[in-house]
Amino acid sequence: MKLSKKITAGILIIFIVMMPVIMILKKSFRFPEVSLKGLSDGSFVHEFEELFADGFSWRSMWVSASAEINSCIGEPIINGVYITDSRLIDTGSAVQFDAEKTAGIVNSFSEKCTGAVYFAAIPTSAGIYRDILPEYMSGTTEKQKADILYEKLNTDIRKIDAYSILKMLSDSYIYYRTDTKWTCYGAYCVYRTVVQKLGFMPVSYDKYTIRHMTDGYRGNLYSRTQYTESKSDQLDIYEYNDGTETTSCTVYDNHGGKYKCELYNTDAVETDNMYDLYLYSGQPLVKINTTVNNDRHLLVIGDEFVLNFVPFLTKHYSEISVLFPEYMEKETDYFVDTDKYEQTLILLGMDKMNILEMIK
Amino acid sequence: MIYSSLGFIYLFFPASLIIYYAVPRKAKDIVLFLMSCVFTGLMGLKILAFTALYIAVNYIAAHLTYRMAVVKRRQLRLIPCSIGIFFDILMIFGFRSEYFSFITAPLNLPDGVFPIGISFFTLSAVGYLMEIYRGEVKADMNIVRFSLYLIMFPRLIFGSLMSYSVFVSALRRRRMNIMEIGRGLSLFVKGLGKKVIAADSLYALYSAVVSTDTGNLSLVSAWLGVISYVLCLYFTMSGFSDMSTGLCRCFGFRFPGGFNYPMFSGKIRFFAAKWQVQAVQWFRRNITRPLTVLIDNPRLNKIIFILVWAIGGFWYGFSVGSMIFGFLMGTAIIIENRFRNLKFMKSNGILYTSFAVMLMSVFLMSDEISDAFRYLWAMVGGNGTIADSLAAYFARYYIVVLLAAVYASTDLFKNMVVRVENSRFRWAVYVFSPAVSLLLLMICTAMMSYSGSSGILLLM
Repeated sequence: MKLSKKITAGILIIFIVMMPVIMILKKSFRFPEVSLKGLSDGSFVHEFEELFADGFSWRSMWVSASAEINSCIGEPIINGVYITDSRLIDTGSAVQFDAEKTAGIVNSFSEKCTGAVYFAAIPTSAGIYRDILPEYMSGTTEKQKADILYEKLNTDIRKIDAYSILKMLSDSYIYYRTDTKWTCYGAYCVYRTVVQKLGFMPVSYDKYTIRHMTDGYRGNLYSRTQYTESKSDQLDIYEYNDGTETTSCTVYDNHGGKYKCELYNTDAVETDNMYDLYLYSGQPLVKINTTVNNDRHLLVIGDEFVLNFVPFLTKHYSEISVLFPEYMEKETDYFVDTDKYEQTLILLGMDKMNILEMIK
Repeated sequence: MIYSSLGFIYLFFPASLIIYYAVPRKAKDIVLFLMSCVFTGLMGLKILAFTALYIAVNYIAAHLTYRMAVVKRRQLRLIPCSIGIFFDILMIFGFRSEYFSFITAPLNLPDGVFPIGISFFTLSAVGYLMEIYRGEVKADMNIVRFSLYLIMFPRLIFGSLMSYSVFVSALRRRRMNIMEIGRGLSLFVKGLGKKVIAADSLYALYSAVVSTDTGNLSLVSAWLGVISYVLCLYFTMSGFSDMSTGLCRCFGFRFPGGFNYPMFSGKIRFFAAKWQVQAVQWFRRNITRPLTVLIDNPRLNKIIFILVWAIGGFWYGFSVGSMIFGFLMGTAIIIENRFRNLKFMKSNGILYTSFAVMLMSVFLMSDEISDAFRYLWAMVGGNGTIADSLAAYFARYYIVVLLAAVYASTDLFKNMVVRVENSRFRWAVYVFSPAVSLLLLMICTAMMSYSGSSGILLLM
């Protein structure tokens, strides 16, 4: 018995010590920023634990193993993601924002704008496919929440009912199977309505040449589950040659710096961050200039949903500025002069409404 | 930071263990004290400052009580002792009860942040002051030792409650060797498994049931909900208790475990005595016994017994519901004793005990008393459905977890291991136990790998 306990101590200690040592050797652990506030209210340790888990040795293998274990011993829910044969669905409610507060922010923003403001709340995949979830996961739906929000918006804000459009097409490939976001086709379907409201004729679907960039994309829901049995997704680029083209794409950071980028970063599909294919910069502002000769300027305020949506708009505007409140460290005025735009489109997912706090 | 987190298991614990074993024997208490300060400080420096104040107040109150006990006017010792106890109770109310949160409001802590372990170290502190008042122990001059009694990090979360003299003798008789670490780690991993595998799976079922409108719950769903709640509570608390006992053992201290397989006991009083053994003993030693000795009236003593159970219940969850749970538990034990000779009581012990515990637990799990009654109504089929598609869904996905949890909550597995150990196949236990411990740790690591920890979800 003594020997057995000694062996237990030996192997467990070796295993326990081995993990942090590997993390140090691999430099996979980033120490959080130390601040007096963080230390005094305990938020430092939360951040530390999150980063420790993120950088934990062989993390994706552990998460993947956890998916296997969880699917054996209970409901097919892993880290808040419901697993079905057809897709992964987020069970965490995307409707936890305060509709009144959000509407208040959008209303006061629109009052400051001289041009027209358009608003589109885009449901996440859980909003469209919620029927798949078990019946006890009821409560306020994304549709109900969007209705409450729309009702509280000023009447001069033009509202776009993305939910109805997408719900009607729910049998088509409008959402990634492994992500909460829409596919290019989903974005295109909403683009048709949005662009009409903005005063243009949409480009018809058959005019596009669709390039399949990869069929190995696994989205944010996959990252949470590492459930290897889930089918991967396809990333596309919709191209339409009408003689106009994008001349420049410029990224602006929080400190006055700027650099050039591409509308489609095709190299990204070869990397771990495939979704960087679409305009992703992680910076607060991207300005796109085109050869469209109408001197129309559009301001788009949004989140990840706009990444594969904006390219459709480039056929209609000579300049589009895309503002990402999520990455803003300064006030809106620092990045854009809202008066300069005759049209502003606020388009973001139901799960990201809280980021509108930044444009207050 | 709690025991069931990757940061604790793979960083804080090994680092503190290595330092503890590396320093000379004389410095070990200081190292443990400093590590405990870091552990408390990680909850926030404000919490650390509060804990320092808490220790200082109790240290001074204990000394004044002791000094006054040895001078001529002994009854004066009541003053510092009462002030100390009043302060301790005020603080626990300030942190745990929303009605008294104004007391701790100046600390301006974020929602849900409070000194973890305060329920336990309050009992330790109050018990210590009472022991000094009764003249059972001397006030300890050694502030490091006294601080360790209150906040020693391996004992802080659901750790073993004990009198000061027992604690001091455990400090003196510590055994530090690789075998004790092996035993401690086995126990720690067992507790971790209880929490991360069993309790978290049961919590998923419990939260799924209570997220359904109580007015629409079928009888089967309601029972599944309460069974999962009681088992989840048991696996959470006994899991943390095992982790704490195991950690203490790694540091050389042999403290008793808090749970002695209470589930499916043959009598309600057995259940009550085996569930958090030391806490029950603490209430008996420090409240029930002094009062019953003082009053010495059998009928009044029964009322005192019930009221102390109500206080014990309140200490559990700091809500009216938890107080009612305690009240009912005390009453049930009295009634059981009254009818203990009935044939039905003898032959159906496990059945009626489990039934009574489930019914009483409804008050513990409900936020409002009216919710508890609505839930009880659903449990008797008052909503008009015995079982519906939701109940079938829950049963389909959770039946294996529930059956495994019921089995694991009894001592059947332990008895089987003991039988094998006493047979000629004992080698199997010796060979497999290190492998099982490692496998359990790996499974728990996997299950915590996404969020980084497995939080205390109930009674918080």
